[in-house]
Amino acid sequence: MLELAKFLTPERVILLSATTKAEVLAELMEVIIAYNGAVDREELAREVARREEMMSTGIGNKIAIPHVRMEGMNKATMAVGVSRKGIADYESLDKQPVHIVIMIAAPKGEHETYIRLLAQVAEALKEADLREQIINADDPATVHRILTGGGNE
Amino acid sequence: MTILAGIIEAESHLRILPIVGGALLFGTIGARVFQLIRFPQVVGYIIIGLVLGRSGFELIDEGTIDALRPFNFFALGIIGFMIGGELHRDVFRKYGKQFVGILLSEGIGAFLVVSILSTALLALVTRELAASVAVGIVLGALSSATAPAATVEVLREYKTRGVLTTAVYAVVAMDDGLALILYGVATSIAGLIVSPGGSGADGGLVAALGEALYKLITAVAVGVLAGIALNFILRRGRDREKALTYIIGSLALVIGLCGLLKVDEILAAMALGVVIVNLAPRRSYSAFEVVERFAPPIYVLFFVIVGAHVEVVGMGLWMLGLAVAYVVGRSLGKMLGVNIGARATKSPAVLRKYLGLCLFSQGGVAIGLALAAGDRFASVALGSVAIGSIIMTTITMTTLLVEILGPPAVKFAMCKAGEVGLNVTEEDLMASHTVADMMNSSPPTFQESAPLAVVLRTISDTDAASYPVVSEDNSLSGVISLSDLKQSFGAEGLTAWLVAFDLMRPAADTIDSSAPLTEAVTRMREQGLECLPVLASKDDPRLVGMIELRAISRKLSQEILRRHRLAENGAI
Repeated sequence: MLELAKFLTPERVILLSATTKAEVLAELMEVIIAYNGAVDREELAREVARREEMMSTGIGNKIAIPHVRMEGMNKATMAVGVSRKGIADYESLDKQPVHIVIMIAAPKGEHETYIRLLAQVAEALKEADLREQIINADDPATVHRILTGGGNE
Repeated sequence: MTILAGIIEAESHLRILPIVGGALLFGTIGARVFQLIRFPQVVGYIIIGLVLGRSGFELIDEGTIDALRPFNFFALGIIGFMIGGELHRDVFRKYGKQFVGILLSEGIGAFLVVSILSTALLALVTRELAASVAVGIVLGALSSATAPAATVEVLREYKTRGVLTTAVYAVVAMDDGLALILYGVATSIAGLIVSPGGSGADGGLVAALGEALYKLITAVAVGVLAGIALNFILRRGRDREKALTYIIGSLALVIGLCGLLKVDEILAAMALGVVIVNLAPRRSYSAFEVVERFAPPIYVLFFVIVGAHVEVVGMGLWMLGLAVAYVVGRSLGKMLGVNIGARATKSPAVLRKYLGLCLFSQGGVAIGLALAAGDRFASVALGSVAIGSIIMTTITMTTLLVEILGPPAVKFAMCKAGEVGLNVTEEDLMASHTVADMMNSSPPTFQESAPLAVVLRTISDTDAASYPVVSEDNSLSGVISLSDLKQSFGAEGLTAWLVAFDLMRPAADTIDSSAPLTEAVTRMREQGLECLPVLASKDDPRLVGMIELRAISRKLSQEILRRHRLAENGAI
C-alpha cells in the first residue's frame, strides 16, 4: 500500500473560499506550483483543463479528484482543498456540489504510482462519516490528519 | 597507384589475397548492378571477371588463375554437394522415370543437332568431310553437358521451388555422366576417322566406353563412400560449426581424391550430397543449411574466375560461325530433346515447355573435356587449323556466350512456370513486406475520453496484447496494456470516473507504415514488445494500425505454407 502521507503535507491542504470550479482548480494549481517550482504553470493549467474536457473529475459523493501527468514533476504530489459551502458548478457525476477537491499531479513516467494513488484516494474517502469530518474540519492540519490515517483526535 | 603497382609486382602467391578480395568486392558490386537491371547476379560476376581477367585489364592473370585452380574445383564440389542435397529419394520415386527420360533425350538431342550442324558447316568451309565429322561429333558430345553452377545460382537467387526446379536439379546433376559417356564414344569414333588403322593409344570404341564407365563408377563410388563416412561422423555431433568443418573437410578430400584418380569431381560431390540427404533427411537439413550460408563468397569468386579465364582472341569468321552454330544447335537440341522426352514420359507440361530453357549453361565439364580433346587432336588439322584448337576455341567462346545467356533464360523459364519466390523462409518474406502489409488496420482503439468501463468491456471482448489510445484527430496519445489495467482492478468505483487517457502510458516505440517489416520485428524483439502502434508517416502521427508479433508469425507461416503447397501442386 502507498501511504498518502508520502504525497501530502499539511501545507498543501487549504480551506477554500472560492466557490467556482475554475477558481478552485486555479487555487490548487498554485499550491502545487508553490511546492514544486519546476512545474510549468501553463502546462499544468492546460493538462488539467484537457482532462476536465474529457470527463469531469467530480466523481460523486461530494468528491472531485482532478488528476494529471506531466513533464517537470519529479514526484507524485497532492493538493487538497475543502469547501464547506460546496462547489455547485463542478459538474459532478451525481450532479451534487463538490466539497472535497484532491488534485493529483504525477510525473509522466510514474504510471503505476499514479493509478494506485488515484485508487487509494478514492478508497480513503469511501466512508461518508470520514467525508463529513473532513468537510467540517476547522483547519488544514485536521484534514491532513484524517486523510493520512492519523484519525480525528 | 603505388599499391596497385605493388600488387602487380608482388610474388604470385602474395597477389592471391588482394586479388581474391578485389574479385569478391567488385564481383558483388557488378552483380548488384545487374540485379538492378533485373539480370541474374551470376552474369554480373562473370562480366566483372571478364573485365578484370585475361580479356580485360589482366589484373587477374593466368598465374593467379592457375594458383586458384584447386579453389575452383572446391567451388564445383560445393555446388555439386548442394545439388546432391536436392535429390531426395522421394524425388526419384515421384519423377525418376520422367527425369531420366528427359535427361537422355535432351543430352542426345543436343549431341545430334550440334554434331549435324557443325559437321555440315565445317564440311562446307573446308571440303573435308571425314575430319569435319570428327570435330562435329566431339563438339556434339561436349554440348550435351550442362553446367550446374550458374543454373543453380539462379534458382537460389530467385528462391524457386516446384517440379521444374526439381527437374533442373536432377538433370544438371546427372547429365555430366551422360556427357562423359558420349565424349568417350565420340572421341574414339573421331580418333578412328582421323587416323584410320588406329593409333596405339586408341583402344577403340569398346575401350573408350569402358573408360567412361570406369570414371563414372569411380566418381560415384568415392562420393558414396565419403557420404557414408560423413553421415557416421555427423550422427555423433550436434555442433553445427563442427558439422560445417566436417562437411568441408570431406568435400575437399573427395575432390582431391577425384583429381588424383582423374575422375569427375562434381559427380563425386553430388553423390556425397545425395547420400547425406537420403541417409539422414532431417539432420542433413541443417548440414546443407550451414554450407549454404558459407557458400556465397565461394560462388562469387568462382564465377569471377570463370569470366577472368575466358580469352577472347581474334579468330576467323568461320570459327565465329561455328560458335554460333554450336550455341544455336545446342539450345535447339536441348529444347527439342526435352520436348520429346517429356512427351514420351508423360511429364508435367511445365517441364515440356520450360525445362529446355534451363539447360543452356555450359562450364567445367565441357571445358575440361575440351582440353582433353585439344591434347588428343593437337596434331590433326582441319583446313589449316589443328582440330584440337578448333574444339577448344569453340568451347571457350560458347561457354562465355551461354554463361551470359543461360542465367536470364533460367530466370525467364522459372517466372513463366510460376516457381519464383516459392522457396522462401520467414526472413525472405519479411524482407519483401512493409509494415503496412502485415498490420491490423482496424485494431480495437480507444478515444482518450473512453471510460474505464468501456475499456474493460472492449478488452474482454477482444484479444490484443495492447490497445492504442487516440486523441480526437486520431493521432496516437498512448497505449493501454493488460498489465497496466491490473492496478485499477483492485479499487472499486474507479470504473465510473477513470478514462482511457488516465490509464494509458506513452507508447514505448512506434513505427511508420512504410517501414520494412524486418525493422518492426527487430525493434519488437529487441525491446520485448508484443506489438507496435503504426503511424501514417514520419510527419503524420495519425494512428493507422497496430502490428503484432504473433500475428506476423502466423501470417508468415501461412504464406510459406501456401507457397510450398503451390510448389508441390503447381505441376499441371
